[in-house]
Amino acid sequence: MHVVLLRVALAFYSVGLLHAVVSVLSRKYTFFRASLYAVVAGFVCQAISIILRASELNYMPLTQRYEAFSFFAVLGAMGYLIAYARYRITTLSIFVFPVIFILTFIANVAYDPSSSIPPVIQSNWIYVHTPLIFLGYAALFICFAGSTMYLIQERELKSKHHSLFYYRLPSLEICDDLSYRSLAIGFPLITLGIVSGALWAQSAWGTLWGADLKILLSFFTWLIYLLLIHYRFIAGWRGKRAAYLAIAGFVSVLVSFLGANYFGGLHSFTQ
Amino acid sequence: MQLALVGLSHKTAPVEVRERLAFENGDMSDALRSLVSRDGISEAMILSTCNRVEVLVEASDEAPARDFLSSYHRVPSESIVKHLYTLRNNDVIRHVFRVASSLDSMIVGEPQILGQIKEAYRVAQDAGTVGVHIGSVMDRAFVVAKKVRTETGIARSAVSVSFAAVELARKIFGNLQGKSVMIIGASKMGELSAKHLKRAGVSTVLVTNRTFERAVEMAQVFDGAAVPFEHLNDHIDRADIVISSTGASHFVITKLQAESIIRQRKNRPIFFIDIAVPRDIDPAVNKIDNVFLYDIDDLQQVVDENIKERMSEAVRAEALVDDEVRAFRSKLRSREVVPTIVELRETLEKLRRDEIERNRKHLAPMNPEQREALERITQSMINKILHHPIMQLKDMAHQHDGPEYIKFVRKIFNVKDR
Repeated sequence: MHVVLLRVALAFYSVGLLHAVVSVLSRKYTFFRASLYAVVAGFVCQAISIILRASELNYMPLTQRYEAFSFFAVLGAMGYLIAYARYRITTLSIFVFPVIFILTFIANVAYDPSSSIPPVIQSNWIYVHTPLIFLGYAALFICFAGSTMYLIQERELKSKHHSLFYYRLPSLEICDDLSYRSLAIGFPLITLGIVSGALWAQSAWGTLWGADLKILLSFFTWLIYLLLIHYRFIAGWRGKRAAYLAIAGFVSVLVSFLGANYFGGLHSFTQ
Repeated sequence: MQLALVGLSHKTAPVEVRERLAFENGDMSDALRSLVSRDGISEAMILSTCNRVEVLVEASDEAPARDFLSSYHRVPSESIVKHLYTLRNNDVIRHVFRVASSLDSMIVGEPQILGQIKEAYRVAQDAGTVGVHIGSVMDRAFVVAKKVRTETGIARSAVSVSFAAVELARKIFGNLQGKSVMIIGASKMGELSAKHLKRAGVSTVLVTNRTFERAVEMAQVFDGAAVPFEHLNDHIDRADIVISSTGASHFVITKLQAESIIRQRKNRPIFFIDIAVPRDIDPAVNKIDNVFLYDIDDLQQVVDENIKERMSEAVRAEALVDDEVRAFRSKLRSREVVPTIVELRETLEKLRRDEIERNRKHLAPMNPEQREALERITQSMINKILHHPIMQLKDMAHQHDGPEYIKFVRKIFNVKDR
């Protein structure tokens, strides 16, 4: 059942993808309402799918790669819906909907019916560590989207030749505020996530750090965001420079999230 | 329903003619009442703005409305006839929709016209000169106008330099509430831009000028504060938006100054609007992070692009209006067919009852069951005869020549006009 729901969610998200593609190509904002409803429906299906999977496993449904992608997608959708409720930025959908679709698509393709839980992740720490990290990632994804929109809008304003984006994107102030607030939410989450990961490692192996690529990459990511927080709060950075750093931070998130699965290590979930 | 419209606009008549035919607000009710007292006019409404005068009537002919226009204003009809346009029925509907949607305006997409039409309609309602016919057209026109405004971009962007400045400020700061603007040099253009910004929510206005008295004068207009020109640098970092329009021959704000301003502002963005010729602000200022500089040519370019955008959006709006006219006409036609169907039934029903009555004496006395059978048989015959013509009527009502069909059916069944 949860697989069917995952497929249905993908179908719903494809409406969102179509909306983004058509809107960019036609330079007009088309069927946003319909796609918003579709994404809400997709979000509900995917959330139920994850809950069903959890009850089937009787465990945190993050034991396999496809589950991780699905989880990330659902959090991305949630992050978008929260940001939309707060700011009513329709344009954000052009960035977010395709990403949600792609993540869910990967989840569908990588689906593996095996329900054995790798022993290395059998611990109650999974209920603390992974949700914190993933929620943090979702917030940082919105931070990334806000920063990207900021850079595009800033370029439009500086160049004085206005394209579709100028009309459709929100003001610089709102873009900056969006990425600032989502950073303020995301950073504490990943910080706590890393701390809980270290504690988990200690309880599992008696050491705070495993020789794991993902742990190193995550730490590097955390340093980038620490730097960003520092510059934002202390040095009064805003706008363009802050946006570049936020984008660098998110690239690092992607590398550590996707990369680790392929380079191997504790987080690759392969036996 | 038969509509006629007689009018003239900025497209057909020079201002000398338009002002001669304009209606005073105070005289409007009397004018409307004298209009409906004329033969053949059952409903009337007058729209009179500086760009157009239009008389809309429910009448089978536009002549009474045209006569009214010349006799009311006491101008010979020959002198105005070449400036007038006359529209009937469907063309009236299209025209009203287009005017309400601001597609016929001098500046396409300007928002005032819709308010003016609503007001004209309200006045006519108060005077009691409009009914269901003009009412249904107007109600639909308001819906169409709103649809055009929200679904196309004809009113999206600014088409004057001073509004373009406000729009740019909004794209930088979002909400302008609580923002402050500084005006350097007390020029008309600067004043106009500041006025728009103030209306958009800017809370503080600072004015500086080489002649301090002039600055004080202008500051009073905006409820703001005047700053002596020599102290410009001490205050300028307080401004989120700076409008400069001095007659200086050198840069009033250099790149170095701008860099120090942005440091003092802790990187909070600042928007320079340079409307002076020669320019007041070093163009290199635009290269600094969080500093945005637009000079008069940049603003003009924004306006030009916006006008182009409006024109292309207007094409979409026209298509939308076309669809709306078609839908409205089809609704009207199906409404027109209903009375014909009812009357058709009544005509035949009367025929049936008369026939039974007339032949009663030829019939043997009937018991109740027999009487009921007779009723049932005759009624069912009528229903069967009418079934097809009615289905056809309903179908054809939506077609272009629907009214012709209706007339034809009425004729062959001998349905009398009531």
